[in-house]
Amino acid sequence: MERIMELLGEEGLDDFDRAQLVGLAGDDDEEEDDGEEDEEEAGLGEEAISGESGSEEEEEDAEEGDEEEEEENDEDVVALDELEDAELDADAVPQQKVEIDDKIALERIRESIQLDPSLSWTETLVVSYPETIEVDVDDDLNRELAFYKQALHSANAARALAAKHSFPFTRPNDYFAEMVKSDAHMERIRQRLLDEGAGIKRSEEKRREREGKKFGKQVQQEKLKERQQSKKDMEDRLKNLKRKRKGALDNAEADADGFDVAVEDAIADRPSKQSRGRGGKKVSREGRDHKFGFGGNGRRSKQNTKASTDDFEGRRGGFKGGRGGRGGKSGGTKRPGKSKRVANRSKS
Amino acid sequence: MASVLKAQKSNAHKAHVVGKGKRKADDMDVDETEIQPKKKRNKQRVLLLSSRGITHRMRHLMNDLEALLPHVKKDSKLDSKSQLHLLPELADLNNCNNTLYFEARRHEDLYLWAAKTPNGPSIKMHVQNVHTMDELKMTGNCLKGSRGILSFDKAFEDTEWGRLTKELFTHIFGVPPQARRAKPFIDHILSFSILDNKIWFRNFQIMEKDPLQPNGPPQTSLVEIGPRFVLTPIRIFEGAFHGATVYSNPEFITPTAVRRLERQEKGMKYGARKDAEEESSKRKEARKRDEDVLAVSKVFA
Repeated sequence: MERIMELLGEEGLDDFDRAQLVGLAGDDDEEEDDGEEDEEEAGLGEEAISGESGSEEEEEDAEEGDEEEEEENDEDVVALDELEDAELDADAVPQQKVEIDDKIALERIRESIQLDPSLSWTETLVVSYPETIEVDVDDDLNRELAFYKQALHSANAARALAAKHSFPFTRPNDYFAEMVKSDAHMERIRQRLLDEGAGIKRSEEKRREREGKKFGKQVQQEKLKERQQSKKDMEDRLKNLKRKRKGALDNAEADADGFDVAVEDAIADRPSKQSRGRGGKKVSREGRDHKFGFGGNGRRSKQNTKASTDDFEGRRGGFKGGRGGRGGKSGGTKRPGKSKRVANRSKS
Repeated sequence: MASVLKAQKSNAHKAHVVGKGKRKADDMDVDETEIQPKKKRNKQRVLLLSSRGITHRMRHLMNDLEALLPHVKKDSKLDSKSQLHLLPELADLNNCNNTLYFEARRHEDLYLWAAKTPNGPSIKMHVQNVHTMDELKMTGNCLKGSRGILSFDKAFEDTEWGRLTKELFTHIFGVPPQARRAKPFIDHILSFSILDNKIWFRNFQIMEKDPLQPNGPPQTSLVEIGPRFVLTPIRIFEGAFHGATVYSNPEFITPTAVRRLERQEKGMKYGARKDAEEESSKRKEARKRDEDVLAVSKVFA
């Protein structure tokens, strides 16, 4: 009690001094309690009022302290005080939140609802974790880890307790019943896990590819080197073969076939492009034109040119630049005139 | 000879009968002493309901709780937020001695009342960071209605309100063995931890065998089932949904106040800018010189 009074007194004095000296700044205790909210409103507060209210608060706090200490029956009064507080200070100073922590009443209530302590553990299945969790709240990973540890510890403790009370704990493999999450939902979860795995793999591959591009030049050089190496190997193999077959070559035909097979074997690794060749000689341009046709001389070939316009004689010979090759057809095979053709027809 | 035999037999029989009777009586005694504590069952039923105006996430959270706790009776939404005194009656009608009441405000804030009805106490809490079981990140699963282990960390024992909360949560979240739909095995654990003056709720599946090594040594591991949420205790009342406050959390700032502050800050920024603009324009006006008599435009008009 005395301590509370002391504390309150100190704070009150503080308030007073501050109010007199600065006037603007908010009260010490308020800042502690309400944080940002106060700072702003305190900025608005007037000097005189803040000073007054500081002293008022002091008195009221003292009263509350009294009542809280006395008995839990006075709670209504405390609540009323709270209201008064709010009304009094509403315009000038932020209402201070009154902390109520009536331990006696809490204990009494707890005892009134408490389960019978003689109840066996299997009725409630409550396990206490012997440590408090002290991690940074914003550190998600560590926080969850702490919760996990708590649960794991409790699970193990519970299993030990269950064994002690001969209480069935583990579900047997052949016990099937409805689950909290449906099979369809679990399938979705599984699918998502798979997708996630695939996504990771894909991105990894992409990354590797990118990296590969970066070192593409090196890779190419390596490839060239490799090719040269393989060529060298081939030569070596052939050389070896020749050396081995030196004796055999002397008695020539005897195993000519054997030699061929050996050579083929030796070369087998390399595709022999030369041998496949295009086969036969090239057909001439003309021949190919003849065979596949040629697009012709183009549209303009039918147009008059200066020469053709001036040339009256050429008329009979047909167009000069006519369709390729046919222009030369002239003379004897000319179509007879109509009267001749009619006469011919009547003759035959 | 025969008579002797008969007498012996009858004696033996008598003795036997006496022995039996005595044993029976003894048994009865033992039974009685055992039955008596057995009669003290942990009988709990919880009424679960919400106010009007809950969002889908809150509704899903409620459904999750209902799925996890077989002794829960779900009721329809309560029409009015001001008539909380109806709740004890409702609980009584449903034969429930506990109530979980979700109160949604402004379609974004969720409060949870956990109360013993009809005589109290009741705790009002603010619910934040709700993740439901439907999220695909929670990969665990458990039997519907299996009894979960309740795990409380030590911080609950450190404060009086913590002890009371622990007691109340034991009643509400602990599934009694006689619950109608309860399953006889244990495969999940509900953990409550106090951190930063808030109660953090997690629900894990207990895996006794490593799925990667089905034949290996049994090693317990956990997989989260969900839901998860954080409760900030606001007040504890003596009665059920009424009565004197026996505890109030001084650190609690209402979400509305937080939002208001944010907006105010923004508004002040705007106001300051507008003031500065006005000020500068005024100054500009003041600095303006009078019209000169000998200005070029006047001379050569």
